[in-house]
Amino acid sequence: MQNMVAVSSSGKVGSGRWSLVADHDAQIVVEGGCRAEIIIADSDAVVKLNITVEPNALLSVVHAVTAGGTTTIDYTLLEGASCRVTEVVLTSSELNISARLDAPMASFELDGAFILTGDERGSVKVDVAHNVADCTSRTSFKGVASGRATGRFSGLVYVAPDAQRTNSEQSSRNVVIGDAHIDTLPQLEIYADDVKCSHGATVGQMDSEAVLYMRQRGLSLVDAKRLQIEGFVADVAMHSSISDTAERLTELISAKLETL
Amino acid sequence: MLKVENLHASVGDKEILKGINLEVKAGEVHAIMGPNGSGKSTLASVLAGNEKFTVTEGKVEFEGENLLDLAIEERSRKGIFLGFQYPVEIPGVTMANFMKLAVNEHRKARGEEPLSAAEYLKMMREKSAIVELDPKLTSRSVNEGFSGGEKKKNEIFQMAMLNPKLAILDETDSGLDIDALRIVATGVTRLHTPENATVVITHYQRLLDYIVPDYVHILYKGRIIYTGDKTLALKLEKEGYDWLINDYKEE
Repeated sequence: MQNMVAVSSSGKVGSGRWSLVADHDAQIVVEGGCRAEIIIADSDAVVKLNITVEPNALLSVVHAVTAGGTTTIDYTLLEGASCRVTEVVLTSSELNISARLDAPMASFELDGAFILTGDERGSVKVDVAHNVADCTSRTSFKGVASGRATGRFSGLVYVAPDAQRTNSEQSSRNVVIGDAHIDTLPQLEIYADDVKCSHGATVGQMDSEAVLYMRQRGLSLVDAKRLQIEGFVADVAMHSSISDTAERLTELISAKLETL
Repeated sequence: MLKVENLHASVGDKEILKGINLEVKAGEVHAIMGPNGSGKSTLASVLAGNEKFTVTEGKVEFEGENLLDLAIEERSRKGIFLGFQYPVEIPGVTMANFMKLAVNEHRKARGEEPLSAAEYLKMMREKSAIVELDPKLTSRSVNEGFSGGEKKKNEIFQMAMLNPKLAILDETDSGLDIDALRIVATGVTRLHTPENATVVITHYQRLLDYIVPDYVHILYKGRIIYTGDKTLALKLEKEGYDWLINDYKEE
């Protein structure tokens, strides 16, 4: 985490690692050709962040939602820009992410998870717009809800009429424990004909065979369930877009799972 | 060590075990054979404590204690190991992490301190060598992407890690090629001591070439209808089950 520079107001960022406290609206431009990492610190405010990734820049973003509030993050990707985002939602909150792929060869990847317990309510919305040809996007979001928690994922992939050779994947996988509830709404809106788009959504219970297997080896029911859920969501942290945040994200997830 | 008396068990309304009697002493190897659907896997599951099955009648004692009162994890910690016919994949949970928790639960049950990281690594290295399991597999998710042979070796690796008093191996030989079978069976044999016991459930005589049983039991329609020595398995290999089943029908 050395050489971290805070982005306090709107402006341009170049190569390096930046921190951004999401307690005010901000307009950020990632300069063309650079490699930037932005770690977003959560706040309970209602904020909107606009992030433009200029041509051939590579941006990695990590955001752990720990304070709640409503966060809207709009990404605009220009030609050849790549953006990799890791989102971990650990409390009641509303998270709206949109990615506009506005020039060819842009690539957007989002891996995320929400873990909601008790009476928490969380909503995650991801809109990806393929406005031009030859762009790729991948969204993978996992949800875990226990107690009386309610989680919601809605994802929309839009492919404009001229956005040929679009390659897009979207998946939403969820595990519900007890009386909790998760809604998932994956949607595709495709107006081009030469595209490769997939989407899938599942909402399931715990895998009881795996729990039984772990218990046969001596783990308690509680530990077996926790380990299984940890395994389900841990890879989001382990494959964090900024690799040296993996450990911290794993700790946050483990601490949250203690409250399941 | 294990004493099963008149054990009846059902899944839903269907009775599968209809009065099993079996006694296993320390140092012994028992083989349970029988046609498909006779209840072999159910017997293994019921002894391990799988709650899917309801015990409706009978007694099971393990080292003088009523086993049926104990939850599956308590039975494990008392020294009962079940080698699964279909080992379960657990994505995102590494073998190393999973086994560390399991080993330390067993230690805790015996009033011992958890292993240090160095002790644990040493133990994993030693035990994986017993079944020629690639030590790299321990950093992968439990059984995920393992070949059929690796899964079964991994079962015996876990058995080696937990050092059970009674190991029940449910068709550990199924789906193995001849080399994997030799490695798995040799591993089981190496783990056998005068203090522990092994119950192997199998369809085939070939496993018993390596793991030589003291007793061979034939399970049919939920009952043990015949018990013999190792020559019984050879006879079955040649003649099938019909002569036994026919005898049984006439009774």
